[in-house]
Amino acid sequence: MASTITNFKKKIYTLQEYTFMLRELFLSLKYVNKCKRDAINEMYLVGSQAFLLVLLGGAFMGIILALETGHQLDLFGAKNLVGRTVSLGMVRELGPIITGLLLAARTGAKNASEIGAMQISEQIDALRAFGTNPVLKLVMPRTIAAMVMFLPLTAVADISGILSGMVVSKLSLHIDTSFFWHSAISALLMKDIFVGFAKPILFAFFIATISCFYGFQTRGGTSALGKNTINAVVVTSLIVLVLDLIFTKVVWELL
Amino acid sequence: MIRLENVSLAFEDKVILDNISLSIKKGEIAVILGPSGAGKSSIIKIMVGLWQPDSGRVFIGNKDISKLSESEMLPLRRKMGIVFQGNALFDSLTVEENVSYFLKEHGSLKSSEINAKVSEILSFINLEGTEKICIDQLSGGMKKRVAIARALSFDPEIIFYDEPTTGLDPINAKSILDLIKRVSERGATSIAVTHILNDAVSIGDTLSVINDGTVVQTGTVQDMLASENKFVKDFFYVVYQDAALLKNKKFYK
Ligand SMILES: Nc1ncnc2c1ncn2[C@@H]1O[C@H](COP(=O)(O)OP(=O)(O)OP(=O)(O)O)[C@@H](O)[C@H]1O
Ligand SMILES: [Mg+2]
Repeated sequence: MASTITNFKKKIYTLQEYTFMLRELFLSLKYVNKCKRDAINEMYLVGSQAFLLVLLGGAFMGIILALETGHQLDLFGAKNLVGRTVSLGMVRELGPIITGLLLAARTGAKNASEIGAMQISEQIDALRAFGTNPVLKLVMPRTIAAMVMFLPLTAVADISGILSGMVVSKLSLHIDTSFFWHSAISALLMKDIFVGFAKPILFAFFIATISCFYGFQTRGGTSALGKNTINAVVVTSLIVLVLDLIFTKVVWELL
Repeated sequence: MIRLENVSLAFEDKVILDNISLSIKKGEIAVILGPSGAGKSSIIKIMVGLWQPDSGRVFIGNKDISKLSESEMLPLRRKMGIVFQGNALFDSLTVEENVSYFLKEHGSLKSSEINAKVSEILSFINLEGTEKICIDQLSGGMKKRVAIARALSFDPEIIFYDEPTTGLDPINAKSILDLIKRVSERGATSIAVTHILNDAVSIGDTLSVINDGTVVQTGTVQDMLASENKFVKDFFYVVYQDAALLKNKKFYK
């Protein structure tokens, strides 16, 4: 019982530390152009190098979605709805989720392990001791890079999902490609696109800040580094799922 | 120049520093000597304001830094240089990039001035010609020099060394110690912590022996040798032993 309470206290304390970091991040917004160069570097790492991963992730989602729904809809003679289903499914849910999860793993692990290694080798202390704010130097560029790059990457996942859905629909359900494309595009409303692209911005913010935070929290040696990297990936993945649910349930109803 | 008054620090239930008081004069080389885990690195982190003590006060000059916020610390940090126990260099960057890193971060200096500064420092520490080498390709002794070079980049008034010779061979260790003396001759107040008695004796103007987070004794080498304190006697035992050895073998006349 006592240990449950201390554990709980520790959790609350960690949450408090995280909010302090976020506060620091917002306060250092006024120096944001100091980290332009770092941010561009990070964008390259987050963005261009994750391109193929996201392209493939989106494609597989699109194929699975088209096949699964196609066969079910075919039972009711409604296979013409496949295009619609795939495009709405990709843009509203699966595109952002698959991008979010893939990047939570990739960017999350990168941030947590990089900053964690800097923490245990005293490089973070060195930054502070020589008067550089580690949050501005390390968290800001990573957060900006993630928020900027997640949008186009989500678009890549969406489009690759719809296109590959179109191809398998043609091959296995014999749905005409131009018909599929037309129904896919006309099904999308402004609202779908808005929600589909608001999510990744939010995911990006939390993935970047939480994974950096876990990096900063690393104390001790290599095993702590491994553990915190795992924690960062697990927590950011969960956050992606939870935020997605909140969006689907709450934001969608409000709009 | 630097004064600790009744400084205490604990992590959770573990006491790290227990009521430490120390005073370091301007321009001297002060050595804090103690065994592993005595709290040496912790004292340095408190002196440079990276950590705040749970109680007690820390003076740099006349300013109490024990409660200062990060931004209030900034002007003081420009006056301090620190050489970390594990060097804490940015290991994917080159020597030149490491030494100029903070000059570029904060500098009002033009890039030609930065280059001049970097080559001045590198020649001072005898590392000319290594500008373009990446840190992970350097030997331990060279890394330590680069770490000292980085600490010198703002011409600090106070410079801290955390175990500057640990892990180095005697030749490299000696050259680092010589370097510390030369840096001190440039006018910086120097604080070195170490567990190596030899280093302490060879560079220290004043010594403070600490153990288990408390100061056991402060004074000159002579004071230490004359001390009746059991811990100090044990710590300096090798000195007596070496002296006896040298006498027997007649190394020196
Ligand atoms: N962040 C921390 N959290 C908890 N305990 C710590 C932390 N940092 C240091 N300690 C503990 O504080 C004590 C003193 O540590 P410190 O690093 O100051 O010792 P040291 O004299 O520098 O030792 P070494 O010769 O190993 O460098 C050690 O027992 C260490 O385990
Ligand atoms: Mg230490």
